[in-house]
Amino acid sequence: MRPRWRKVLSDLIDNKARTILVVFSIAVGVFAIGVIAGAYVIISQDMGVSYAANNPSNIEIRLDDFDHDLLNTIRHFKGVKDAEARRVFKLSLRSPGETRWTSVDVVAVEDFQENAINLLKPISGAAEPHKEQILLERDVLEDIHASPGQILELQLLDGTIKEIQVAGIVQDASTGAIDFLSPPLAYITMDSLKFFDEPDLFNRLFVTVASGQDDEEHIRSMLADLKDKIEKNGFNVGRTFISKTHQHPLESTINAVLGILMALGVLIVFLSSSLIANTLSALLNQHLRHIGVMKLIGGRDQIIFRMYLVLLLAFGLLALLIAIPAGGQGAYALAQYIADKIGFSLLGYRIVPLSFVIQVAVGLLVPLVSGFIPVISGSRVTVQKALDGVRTQSSGGEDQETLEGGYRFEHFQVKATRALADRGIRIPRQLLISLRNTFRQRGRLLLTLFTLTMGGAIFISVFNVRITLHDYVQKIGNYFLADVTLDFERPYRLEEIEQYAYQDPRVIHVEGWAYATAEILLPDGSTAENITLLAPPAESDLVSPMLIEGRWLRPTDKKKLAISEGVYDYYPDLRAGDSIPLKIDGKEELWEVVGVFKFIGLEGVIGYAPYEYISREKNLANRSYSYRIVIQDHDRAAQDAMAKDLDAYFRAQGFHVLEATPGLSTLDSAAESLDILITFLLIMALLTATVGSMGLAGTMSMNVLERTREIGIMRAIGATDLEILRMVIVEGLLIGLLSFVLSMILAIPFTYLLSAIVSNAIFATPITVIFTPLGYLIWLGLVVVLSSLASILPAHNAARLTIREVLAYE
Amino acid sequence: MTDPTSPLIEINSVTKYYHTTAGAFPALQGIDLAIYPGEFLGVVGKSGAGKSTLLNMITGVDRFSSGEVQAHTNGKSISLSQLSENELTLWRGRTMGVVYQSFQLLPMLNLIHNVMMPMDMSGLYQPVKSRQRALELLKMVELADHVDKYPSQISGGQQQRVAIARALANDPPLIVADEPTGSLDSVTADHVFEIFQHLVDEGRTIVMVTHDEGLLPLFSRYVTITDGQLTGEGGQP
Repeated sequence: MRPRWRKVLSDLIDNKARTILVVFSIAVGVFAIGVIAGAYVIISQDMGVSYAANNPSNIEIRLDDFDHDLLNTIRHFKGVKDAEARRVFKLSLRSPGETRWTSVDVVAVEDFQENAINLLKPISGAAEPHKEQILLERDVLEDIHASPGQILELQLLDGTIKEIQVAGIVQDASTGAIDFLSPPLAYITMDSLKFFDEPDLFNRLFVTVASGQDDEEHIRSMLADLKDKIEKNGFNVGRTFISKTHQHPLESTINAVLGILMALGVLIVFLSSSLIANTLSALLNQHLRHIGVMKLIGGRDQIIFRMYLVLLLAFGLLALLIAIPAGGQGAYALAQYIADKIGFSLLGYRIVPLSFVIQVAVGLLVPLVSGFIPVISGSRVTVQKALDGVRTQSSGGEDQETLEGGYRFEHFQVKATRALADRGIRIPRQLLISLRNTFRQRGRLLLTLFTLTMGGAIFISVFNVRITLHDYVQKIGNYFLADVTLDFERPYRLEEIEQYAYQDPRVIHVEGWAYATAEILLPDGSTAENITLLAPPAESDLVSPMLIEGRWLRPTDKKKLAISEGVYDYYPDLRAGDSIPLKIDGKEELWEVVGVFKFIGLEGVIGYAPYEYISREKNLANRSYSYRIVIQDHDRAAQDAMAKDLDAYFRAQGFHVLEATPGLSTLDSAAESLDILITFLLIMALLTATVGSMGLAGTMSMNVLERTREIGIMRAIGATDLEILRMVIVEGLLIGLLSFVLSMILAIPFTYLLSAIVSNAIFATPITVIFTPLGYLIWLGLVVVLSSLASILPAHNAARLTIREVLAYE
Repeated sequence: MTDPTSPLIEINSVTKYYHTTAGAFPALQGIDLAIYPGEFLGVVGKSGAGKSTLLNMITGVDRFSSGEVQAHTNGKSISLSQLSENELTLWRGRTMGVVYQSFQLLPMLNLIHNVMMPMDMSGLYQPVKSRQRALELLKMVELADHVDKYPSQISGGQQQRVAIARALANDPPLIVADEPTGSLDSVTADHVFEIFQHLVDEGRTIVMVTHDEGLLPLFSRYVTITDGQLTGEGGQP
């Protein structure tokens, strides 16, 4: 090996700590970008394929009970490829011995062999249940510990408890995908319906279209035609859903979330490159004498440049050796985690070529780009300066400026110290030295501050975004203020339900709500979107809307509604007082929009109209299917207990209870979904914090290393180990605290930016930003600890050297 | 053959100013000096007199403020002020060997690689040839048994001998030495001088800077420098 390459190899091997620092700085960024890019590709490839593999329905229609006649009509409808009918009903399941019931949607399938839509993937046990057996979707296992062959208890609507055997566990990637907040599913055969006291009739239609399976407009138009057909056959249509065959309903949301993570990954790469630039700059400072010697003996700029370029590439290659396998595993683990949470299958572990290429490019380019300026300036330094150990300063103007800058700072420091001393405040000499040392290498200080500040700002922002999202979910909770929602199979009179409910002293308020479904029509008469109309009493206190414009409901409102801002997708210029065309019960009507309110965009468009009007129109005056109940305590435990007791009580009184739901349950599951996102964001924040602290550790060790001789002189004139240690640690703390102040400021725009991106991805609406001191306090604590730790080791090393060793240091 | 009466290096009216916060400081003032082939020239002066600065003007390590330095090597005349940093580096690597008081060896390379480095940089020798040559040079300075050692594993005198071997690597006509014995004991220093004398006897030109007037008898010629000006001369070129 030629001597020059031998030198490069020695540079790589001899200072292991420095090599590890640089390699890990690169590896962290490459790993982060590899994980996210890999997961992004795996998910976007597998999500659609996995979803399409189950032949998902393009249209799901929930309607009154129907039989084969309607099913056959739909099957022969023009444009329909296939149609299947199922019966879906709610019941509660639990393991024997458990006290808590889990609500599940049971799907009765006519023929598991012939099942061609929303296919089930067997996980364990039997792929289809026998009569009076049940298949469980794997999500059920999150709430109930069950396995094939096990007996579970179930509670029917009339309160009867029966036992049923689990035939197997399956995965249904389609049915639940459309409705994000739907309960977990279980499956039975139609001939088991009698066992559940359910009629042998269907109530849901699943349809695939013959053409345009990925054309949303076509599917929507087919849905409108099918609804017309069904309604003309005398059936009431409830909620409807549409879905493309090759696109998972949550794909855009997941991609948006991954997009945010990708942005953070790029930022980490950016931060690690500033750390690398810092380290390489210091390395070249340490190597100046070597460069000088090489130039003295004939080493031209190009040769020196090439040598250090190879060193940079070697750093990059070493980082790739760590980051590529780890990034590949991380990408698959992240994709698997998301797939499990969303409910689809991955096609198997694989190396993602795009991610590999990105990692290689980033791993090699980042050190090259970030090291380019230090290497260029190092290779161009004159022999004289190199041998004198001066890279940036020259004997000309630059030197003058640097000196004057230094003098100006000293001058300021002296003036400030005197001013304080005049007021009786004395700053210890060591603190002054630490302060002066902090600002000596200003370029290095700026890069370190940049890295640490960015890390801190992201860390703090993530906590702010977390509280912002949770606050919004709480605000969404203002639409669900009732403690328990009690749904019945048939309508009951308000007075009757109130009379029974008030028997329980915990109940303080009861309201009957109505609801209706409709379609928002576009000006050309085509269907834009389905809308659920909720109808609370106009004076109800159980809805506290976030109005964007207009007003809330009045009892006298007729054909008037308040509508969620999702309506802007179709009527962007809509104002309160304008009218929009709706199709209700097959009739096209113009409804006046009295107000527009914020809601979760992903949940579609919802509207509120007064109970007083809707109940009359539905011939349900003073009666209702659904009741909202308020109790004394509003915590989840009290709500759970109340829901359970009301369910049991009304069943015992002979009412046909469909479901009693605690008010916070929906919010809790929404909050859980948010926590997944927040966990990702926190991981990214921790990675940025890691890069930041590595930057600080690197800077402190470089500062101390370069001042080894000074430290020796200080010790020679009487400074103790403890004083040296304190001086270095105070310097680290000063940098840390300075970065904290900057992070506090930078966290403000970061929080707004991140909140805007995340809220648009999750809620499809901008939300009000909330700041929490938590992130600030944790980061302050972390910065203090990290700064101290980053300084202790170099300080300890410096204090440990003998005076002779230090003064002989070259 | 080199003509011993025509100079190898000609220094004409060279001045060098350093800019400090206190103003321009003259390190060299109107230096005129010719260095002839085969001579052992001593530049003698006290600390701060400007002798190392003068050496830097000869090696091209630093730029002069005015005047000219001309080199007549390999049958060509070169004006150093006309050369770029890179051209100067290449010229220096092939034309002269430089020896410093602090040896300036590369600590991460063993002795043989330190000596091979100039040959690698100049590209004048094939790798196999350069290894052979480095071995011969180390043998000449009596360090053949230590070729695989690192600079930190040998004494100061031995390090200086390695520096001399390295200075000879590209077979340059001129050796420039800045206080080469300044950090050595007298016995070791004598050994270094023996090597220098041997090189002069071989026909090489050596320019050596020292503050030690006791070394004057060793030089074939010497100039004294005081406050940046040549103030005396002795011996014959």
